Amino acid sequence: MSVDVQTSPPAPSAAPAGRGTWSLSWHGLRTVTVLELRQRVRSTRWKTALVVWFLVVGLITLLTTGAFAILSGDGMADEPFGGIVYSIVVGFVLFLGLLVAPTLSSGAINGDRNAGTLATLQVTLLTPAEIVLGKLAAAWIAALAFLVASIPFLAWALAGGGVSWLALLTTVLMLAVVLGVVCAIGLGFSALVGKTSGSAVLTYLTIGGLTAVLPIVFGLLVPVTTSTEEVRVWDVEPGYTWEETTAPECEWQTHEADVWHSERTWWLLAPNPFVVVADAQPLGGDPETLADDGNMLALLQYGVRYARTGDNGEQDWCSYMVGSGTDSPVEPVVVTDQLVWPWGLGFDLLLGAGGVVVAVNRLRVPTTHLPQGTRVA
Amino acid sequence: MTPDGGIRARGVRRSFGPVHAVADVDLVAAPGRVTALIGPNGSGKTTLLLMLAGLLTPDAGTISVAGADPVTENYVARSRTGWMPDVFGTWDSLTAREVLTTVAAAYRIDAARARARAGELLELVHLSELADQPAHVLSRGQKQRLGLARALVHDPDVLLLDEPASGLDPRSRVDLRVLLRRLAAAGKTVLVSSHVLTELDEMADDAVFISGGRTVATRSVADGDVPREWRLTALDPEALTRWLDETGRAYRTESDGTGVLVELPGEAAAAALLRSAVGAGVDVSSLAPAGGVLEQAYLALEEERR
Ligand SMILES: Nc1ncnc2c1ncn2[C@@H]1O[C@H](COP(=O)(O)OP(=O)(O)OP(=O)(O)O)[C@@H](O)[C@H]1O
Ligand SMILES: [Mg+2]
Repeated sequence: MSVDVQTSPPAPSAAPAGRGTWSLSWHGLRTVTVLELRQRVRSTRWKTALVVWFLVVGLITLLTTGAFAILSGDGMADEPFGGIVYSIVVGFVLFLGLLVAPTLSSGAINGDRNAGTLATLQVTLLTPAEIVLGKLAAAWIAALAFLVASIPFLAWALAGGGVSWLALLTTVLMLAVVLGVVCAIGLGFSALVGKTSGSAVLTYLTIGGLTAVLPIVFGLLVPVTTSTEEVRVWDVEPGYTWEETTAPECEWQTHEADVWHSERTWWLLAPNPFVVVADAQPLGGDPETLADDGNMLALLQYGVRYARTGDNGEQDWCSYMVGSGTDSPVEPVVVTDQLVWPWGLGFDLLLGAGGVVVAVNRLRVPTTHLPQGTRVA
Repeated sequence: MTPDGGIRARGVRRSFGPVHAVADVDLVAAPGRVTALIGPNGSGKTTLLLMLAGLLTPDAGTISVAGADPVTENYVARSRTGWMPDVFGTWDSLTAREVLTTVAAAYRIDAARARARAGELLELVHLSELADQPAHVLSRGQKQRLGLARALVHDPDVLLLDEPASGLDPRSRVDLRVLLRRLAAAGKTVLVSSHVLTELDEMADDAVFISGGRTVATRSVADGDVPREWRLTALDPEALTRWLDETGRAYRTESDGTGVLVELPGEAAAAALLRSAVGAGVDVSSLAPAGGVLEQAYLALEEERR
């Protein structure tokens, strides 16, 4: 007891009187982020995961490149195979990212509460918004580390040709934003649910809902969005029997036909992270020819834009019967150049923002409502 | 007592679903004094301290901590309150020093000042040698001491300590007592909950007893004489009981038979008793309070409630 208690009373440095729940300061954010990152980085589990990630993505890149190099070496194709390798690697990185990101944030709040460290932060002068956004920043930075570890392989795939450097930029940017959204959703659930396993499951279910359930719903809605309508059809002349030796004449007729109005439900596909990443790519050339290269991102982009365009109201039932010689007056469907990703990303960002708002509200002090079965300390 | 310092709680209530954790508590803790919060397990001490620390909203009642209302002026109240929880969770990858600098940063203390303060506090709780060890290797008592240091980082006016002595070795308990007395002498308000009543006897000025979520009694420990039982032993126990019988004093022999218990109104009466016993030729070997004031008061209250 040689030390005097009063040696240097560090009066809290001009704490602004009454900072509210949503007040933010750079200092507070940094404090929480640094704390979270220190906690995470020092646990060796995280470093191991990063190394494993690097090896797995590397292996996938190597295998795909190898496979396509052999194929093109056979002289089967002279085209650049970069597109297909690139799209496979991007898809794989996104897939793994969607698996890893929830683990980074879905235990951030309830895990701390169970360990008894959340209340210690809440009693300090940090505001709930600083705690939540600091934790989000830390989880996001950790997720971005995984993304950065994949960039060498993405760049390597680019070297195969067929994809522009600009595409790499937008892809990485979109991947980063999508991972951030996943972290935010996980954070929201971790504030809402008492057990870390529960919040992890809910986060995975949400991600699964966006990536798998919505497209399935889109598919199941096909009968509903298909209606029988009068359509102009470029058809074989009426009364033509196929025994005749002269080729049939084609002419315009009006028929009852089933028309699929995918333009009514395309938005179900938009929030899908894969769609967001694929659609945000700037495609140098015609999406159709790029899709022919086997660039699956281009294919996906073409697909959703096709769905958004919908039927143009005319059908050609004749030309292919008669032979390619005849010119068809039916315009081929011109895929819209309206973007799909801003809608999808907008929706995802709303989900993420919802997660943050829920978490901040749950961390408000003093607490009025406690989740069943939890103690503050 | 300044009108707005210290802790005042009136009619405070809080329930969790059907459980009335705190049913009706009145409590006043004055600046410059150490107040003990005593009650059986589950009586609502931790819940009450959470409300005082501004973490939990009371269902009813008014609270003022260091002049601020933790419900309406939460931020101001938090800036003046140091809280030490009963279960000490810690960021286990951080070193003891980093724990303190992080908390200091969370209290908006600048980095240089935070480092100095962390060093000072580590010295104060005798953790300097372990300062750069990860906090999870610390023993239970060492963690407890780190928790105390953490509550003191921003030099709060009001200290709320939830069972700070649990897990501490005798030396650390003495240190804790000296520290709390010194903080009180410096004008801080100290509220301590503990089950170690003999400990509280020596450091508390006032005591608030709660049971079943209600304030059942408020005592002053240090000042004034309190009637209580004293234990009297002599070289020849028979001579002692004979003398007590002759002088017509009420007494009862202890169950293990080493001495007798006498109810006395205060210290002056104890001195008088000793003088007359020695004068009558009884070889008194000891005269001391039997158990602490708080222990006796606590047990008496328990008795009443049965
Ligand atoms: N979050 C909660 N949800 C439900 N019940 C609770 C909650 N917190 C406390 N309780 C109940 O409220 C009562 C008081 O609990 P509290 O922790 O305040 O007791 P305590 O006086 O600190 O006990 P101890 O001496 O054992 O530390 C207990 O019956 C407890 O079960
Ligand atoms: Mg308790």
